[in-house]
Amino acid sequence: MFPLSRLLATIALTAVGAAATVEAWAADPDKVLRIEFYVAETGFDPVKVQDYYSQEVNEGIFDPLLTYDYLARPAKLVPRAAEAMPTIADEAKTYIFKVRKGIYFSDDPAFKGKRRELTAEDYAYSIKRFKDPANKSPYESFIDGITGLEQLKKQAEKTGKFNYDTKVSGVQALDRYTLQVKLKETDYNFAYIMALPNFGAVAREVIEAYPDDTNGHPIGTGPYRLKEWKRSNKIILEANPEFRGFTWHFEPGSDPLDKQIVAAMEGRKMPQIGRVEISVIEEQQAAWLAFQNNELDLLYLREQFAPVALPNNQLNPALVKQGVTLNRITDPDINYTYINTTDPAFGGFTKEKIALRRAIWMSFDNAEYIRVIRKGQAIEAQYPIPPNVLGHDPAYRSVAPYDPVLANKLLDYFGYKRGSDGYRTWPDGTPLVWRYSSTPSSRDREIDELWQKSTERIGIRIQVAKNKFPEELKQERACQLLSRTAAWIADYPDGDDFMQLFYGPNSHQNNSSCFQLAEWDRIYEKTRSMPDSPERNRLYRQLWRMVEVNGVTKMHDTRYRNMLVQPQVVGYKKHPILLAEWMYFDMDGSRRQP
Amino acid sequence: MTAYIIRRLWQMIPTLLGVILLVFILFNWIGGDPAYVLAGKISSAEQIENIRRQLGVDQPYYVQLWIFIKQVLTADFGASWSTNEAVSHIMATRLGPSLTVLIPLLILSTIIAIGLALGVAYVRGSLTDRMVMIVCTVGLSISILVYIIVFQYFFAYKLGWFPVQGWGDSFWQNLIVYASLPILIGLVVSIAPDLRLFRTFVLDEINQDYVRTARAKGLSENRIMWVHVLRNASIPIITHVMAQLPGLLIGAFLIERFFSIPGIGREVILAVERSDFPVIKAITVYVAVATMIFTLLADLMYKAVDPRVQLK
Repeated sequence: MFPLSRLLATIALTAVGAAATVEAWAADPDKVLRIEFYVAETGFDPVKVQDYYSQEVNEGIFDPLLTYDYLARPAKLVPRAAEAMPTIADEAKTYIFKVRKGIYFSDDPAFKGKRRELTAEDYAYSIKRFKDPANKSPYESFIDGITGLEQLKKQAEKTGKFNYDTKVSGVQALDRYTLQVKLKETDYNFAYIMALPNFGAVAREVIEAYPDDTNGHPIGTGPYRLKEWKRSNKIILEANPEFRGFTWHFEPGSDPLDKQIVAAMEGRKMPQIGRVEISVIEEQQAAWLAFQNNELDLLYLREQFAPVALPNNQLNPALVKQGVTLNRITDPDINYTYINTTDPAFGGFTKEKIALRRAIWMSFDNAEYIRVIRKGQAIEAQYPIPPNVLGHDPAYRSVAPYDPVLANKLLDYFGYKRGSDGYRTWPDGTPLVWRYSSTPSSRDREIDELWQKSTERIGIRIQVAKNKFPEELKQERACQLLSRTAAWIADYPDGDDFMQLFYGPNSHQNNSSCFQLAEWDRIYEKTRSMPDSPERNRLYRQLWRMVEVNGVTKMHDTRYRNMLVQPQVVGYKKHPILLAEWMYFDMDGSRRQP
Repeated sequence: MTAYIIRRLWQMIPTLLGVILLVFILFNWIGGDPAYVLAGKISSAEQIENIRRQLGVDQPYYVQLWIFIKQVLTADFGASWSTNEAVSHIMATRLGPSLTVLIPLLILSTIIAIGLALGVAYVRGSLTDRMVMIVCTVGLSISILVYIIVFQYFFAYKLGWFPVQGWGDSFWQNLIVYASLPILIGLVVSIAPDLRLFRTFVLDEINQDYVRTARAKGLSENRIMWVHVLRNASIPIITHVMAQLPGLLIGAFLIERFFSIPGIGREVILAVERSDFPVIKAITVYVAVATMIFTLLADLMYKAVDPRVQLK
């Protein structure tokens, strides 16, 4: 290569992580990736769906402005449809994105035979759609911080029609390729929102052409397009011939696998995979057998089959012999149990109430939980920010570890005496019963039993109430549910996404324990105006210590995501935030085992 | 006959109203408010209220009930709350796969069970009869889940005679390739109880005087069993088979889930998991209507099979 060209190529590649080529690149239609979803998708309108699987498909079809570097850990934002990372001004209240020129939507009759270029206006329109009451968007709250949109929504509620042509101060296309977003308050995390698959751009013509079935007409600018959809059964995607393509170039991290991936993939034109076939297989046995039959290229191994596939946490030798590899990450999630701090009996911040809650937490053995419930496929969580998320503190140790002896002493000290039946009473002598809520699922029944066993250790009677999940949410939002075991998975890899679970004003939303302390809220608000930094991490530690000391929540675990990979899959690495990595790896049919 | 049919159809109205009321009460009592799930992970009370308004669950109960009745009268149940897919489309596209499995299963199961029942009844009390009954009892004692897991593992995975799971595009491919193993499992599960039941029906007839008379007249045993006995035993058999027919509309939950068959059974489970009331309403009402119609058809068939039967 001519030295100057090489220099320019290197600069371009370095600038954006994965550099786009000018001409569209046709993937190989014979390279077929076969994967499974174990829960049926719901649809492909990015504004309307919230389930993991629909969003995975959407990530392949639509282009958000930003995305994540395939190999960087913790996850790192890089441009996708944007030319570069946004310009952040006005103390992170203004974000300016430059949309890359020459990106085209995949063909659709709504475009009347013309090529349709992606513009900044498409993003403005797509963002406004979240506030349209008719869309009932589950992601509406993610853009609550944008100025002017709330007024537009209020107007729509009055008139019954959302006027997309109304100029909004917070979302404006300054020119054909420049999008400006203005926020009410400083928010360093807004860029993460623009990397969510829900925030890929749709074309207004397409949405208006299929108003009753936007879920069934996903037309985007991403690497894949929907070829066939048998609802709740099969989804077939094919490479989008309009996709711009890019050359594979990512810097390896410290993981030794990264070097192998780089060696195999560096410089390849992407995407290589021409067709993605997704089967909805709800039963793990069927998926497991199909994978062993080499009918699936990747398998998300659920806990149920971990003892078979991963005895002693090592890949089964029979699978190793077949060339199967294990790609394991910790999911960016936490599982925890909370007690409602506004409950008249168990809530409040007096010493005896705090002691009671902490004793309950100390009676619970997380190691047993991980062994029984997770089949060993999780790590104990002591901190509310999981690994691979900014703000995670691996050195943090809980102030309420499993210690039933100490828990009993604590209860004795604060006057929770045992009655003749062996169960404790309140200090005033009335019966003490801890109400715990869970769904009727078999998993929850197992967790119930662990809690029953735990509270027996400290002589506290437990009453398990069975509710359907929507009913639990309803009671929780009203701050009327005393306690349940809940989970939270990252929307974006920043500690704020987890710390906001304890923010007072988020009670009646996702602050399940309805925890409210003025001091806590004050410090948290300070962290919100700070980018990731040692100072912010210090404040996070302080905040979490306050939550723990007050006995609000018991952290349980962060789950592993075990992906089994057939030998024909080349360059695969599960990303903690990205859902559809198909555009970053390749298939080699010659490596397929008979 | 016409008057009888009209009267029976007329009687269906209060029954259907009862079904509507029961479904409505059950859903509102234990179904949960779907708005809280549909609103997403982070949602305000206002957003939840907007969703409730659009779903119509903010209306007084009597208004919601009236809407439900109108939906039944117009056979238009609107769209799924979770996917926005028209309920009519769900029914139209999911019923085919369910019927592809269940109709052959019902036909084969009935024919085989009747044949075996006549055979073992004929040799009643013999070692063969006792052995068959023991096998049936053992077969009945095993959960369908065990059959599915074992058959899927051995016949599909180990021996490779069938695909482990999946569903294709053409009817014949689905029937021959994908539905074969589910039908086989269905047969193993259903033949044992059917055989025991039908054997009892046949035994009730085999000791009747007309059988002795037929033998005295010199008729062959085959003719006695297949014509005379079977005809008289067919009324309870028809009742049993007809009672199974509405089940075709709700599919076979476990078989469809384990073999990834996009049938109505899976859809029922999904709808319940998602508190998707329009889908639950539609399926419940269709099954109730089908049950009433098949019961009526069964009564009419009694008359066709046995002219002595009086329709009153």
